[in-house]
Amino acid sequence: MLEAFVLATILCGFLGIVLKKNLIMKIISMDVMSTGVIAYFVVIASRGGVFTPILGDTLRTNYADPVPQAVILTAIVIGFSIQALMLVGVIKLSQNNPTLEINEIEKSDRL
Amino acid sequence: MTTLTLIWIVLPFLVGFIIYLLPKGDRYLALGGAFASALYVIPLFVQQTPINLRLLDNFGVSLILDPLAGFFILTNALVTMAVIIYCWHSDRTAFFYAQVLILHGSVNAAFICSDFMSLYVALEVIGIATFLLIAYPRSDRSIWIGLRYLFVSNVSMLFYLIGTVLVYKANHSFDFIGLRDAPPEAIALIFLGLFAKGGIFVSGLWLPLTHAESESPVSALMSGVVVKAGVLPLVRCALLIEEIEPIVRLFGVGTALLGVAYAVFEKDAKRMLAFHTISQLGFILAAPEVGGFYALTHGLVKSALFLLVGNLPSRNLKELQKQPIQTSLWIPLVMASFSISGFPLLSGFGAKVLTMKNILSWQEIGMNIAALGTAISFAKLIFLPHQPAVDLDHSPRKTNFWVAIAILLGGLFVANTVYYEAYTLENVIKPLATIAIGWLAYWLIFRRALVKLPVVFEEFENLIGFMGLILVLLFWMAVA
Repeated sequence: MLEAFVLATILCGFLGIVLKKNLIMKIISMDVMSTGVIAYFVVIASRGGVFTPILGDTLRTNYADPVPQAVILTAIVIGFSIQALMLVGVIKLSQNNPTLEINEIEKSDRL
Repeated sequence: MTTLTLIWIVLPFLVGFIIYLLPKGDRYLALGGAFASALYVIPLFVQQTPINLRLLDNFGVSLILDPLAGFFILTNALVTMAVIIYCWHSDRTAFFYAQVLILHGSVNAAFICSDFMSLYVALEVIGIATFLLIAYPRSDRSIWIGLRYLFVSNVSMLFYLIGTVLVYKANHSFDFIGLRDAPPEAIALIFLGLFAKGGIFVSGLWLPLTHAESESPVSALMSGVVVKAGVLPLVRCALLIEEIEPIVRLFGVGTALLGVAYAVFEKDAKRMLAFHTISQLGFILAAPEVGGFYALTHGLVKSALFLLVGNLPSRNLKELQKQPIQTSLWIPLVMASFSISGFPLLSGFGAKVLTMKNILSWQEIGMNIAALGTAISFAKLIFLPHQPAVDLDHSPRKTNFWVAIAILLGGLFVANTVYYEAYTLENVIKPLATIAIGWLAYWLIFRRALVKLPVVFEEFENLIGFMGLILVLLFWMAVA
């Protein structure tokens, strides 16, 4: 169930990237998609249980898998730095293409 | 050897950051960093046995160092050195050299990774460094080209990440070998990511615009080494897992044909080279066992060609036919074109023979057509009119240009020794015949052909949309 929602988020993000005309909207869609991917890692990590795997007084068996969570941290950092970089690029582009419509940019690019 | 490897991986990044601190010595530091990589490769070739490194326990980073990776690392080192020397007297800032070196380091890291997560990190760093290099001139156009590249690569890497976690789910490890037990959707997702990164088949159609519109040294870096960071993992997967090998080989043939189909009709020199890069990546995938040597020869030739074409008076081949170019530029241009068409005496010949020997019978027709297409498209460069230069330019910039070209073309001659067994009569005749037919076809048909292939597939939205289609295609291939 949870998995289906997460996959729907990823799909929504992907469709947004294809269908939205505005560059900013495309970047936001990409963010939605990457949020979906991150959530998917978390869902996979919680297959065995949701408890934080810290050794304590009471031993449990239903710990969450720490590896996907640790790994996705890297991806989150990379994702946000790429987004920051893209937005800087968009700021520069917006000076001459105020609408940021992708068709306009591609058209002026081809001339 | 382990310590040496670790130092070697960290060195480019470290030197890259030091360049920021000591901007005066930028070029020397950058050159030194690239040279260190070239030296490191020697023990890899001498030792022959692969080294497997496992850092930070079972879930950590795993690396593999073998002669296959050695070829790719050597390509990376030589091309980076040539590009730095080429840029020596230009007014580029320390930022540029730092990015070149960081790119160099991340490409090296991508070449030796043998688990999907470290590969992801390396590929993303490559994406960022490449974007900064493309956008270096800061013009609107360059920023848009860079953004487009970053978008395509990041979206494909998101798909790749989903595939990675599916591999982990099945194996509790991120190793390449885990792809064997992974569900077909994992194969489809991971391959989609690598295809888009490596410029394979229709996912690679972002490549022509990006490579053609960047500055020459950056194009040389991208076409020579950066795309290969996506190709080597595919080659590795194909070598590790038999079930995947046919998929990789099939896409190899498809890519080779798609690339030359565009290249023979292209009228713009840089775009033709870029399309031709796509087709050569197909050659690497078509025979995964010997892909390393092919990648080396292609990397050297393609960077040399991009640097040379960047110095021609025009990019339009129609204009160049009316306007004679300097003979001194024409000679290396012809040498590089001969090598890539597979003419004996240059290592492109050995690489082509080796690849043709290692392909399967069902691939043969496709690959021979692709080789013919290569000969046709490079006839366009070989038959350009030329005349001796009128003014002899002896500026230091010119000297550096020649040193860069000498490194790349000299590498081609030296690499000949890798596979000297290729020189048998039968082997020599076939490429000569291919080239002869190619030139004939060029003079009779393609010289006058006015076909202009549509650029609609290269539009941004179609690139992303095609990812969805390729994903479905890959999924069904993996199921079958």
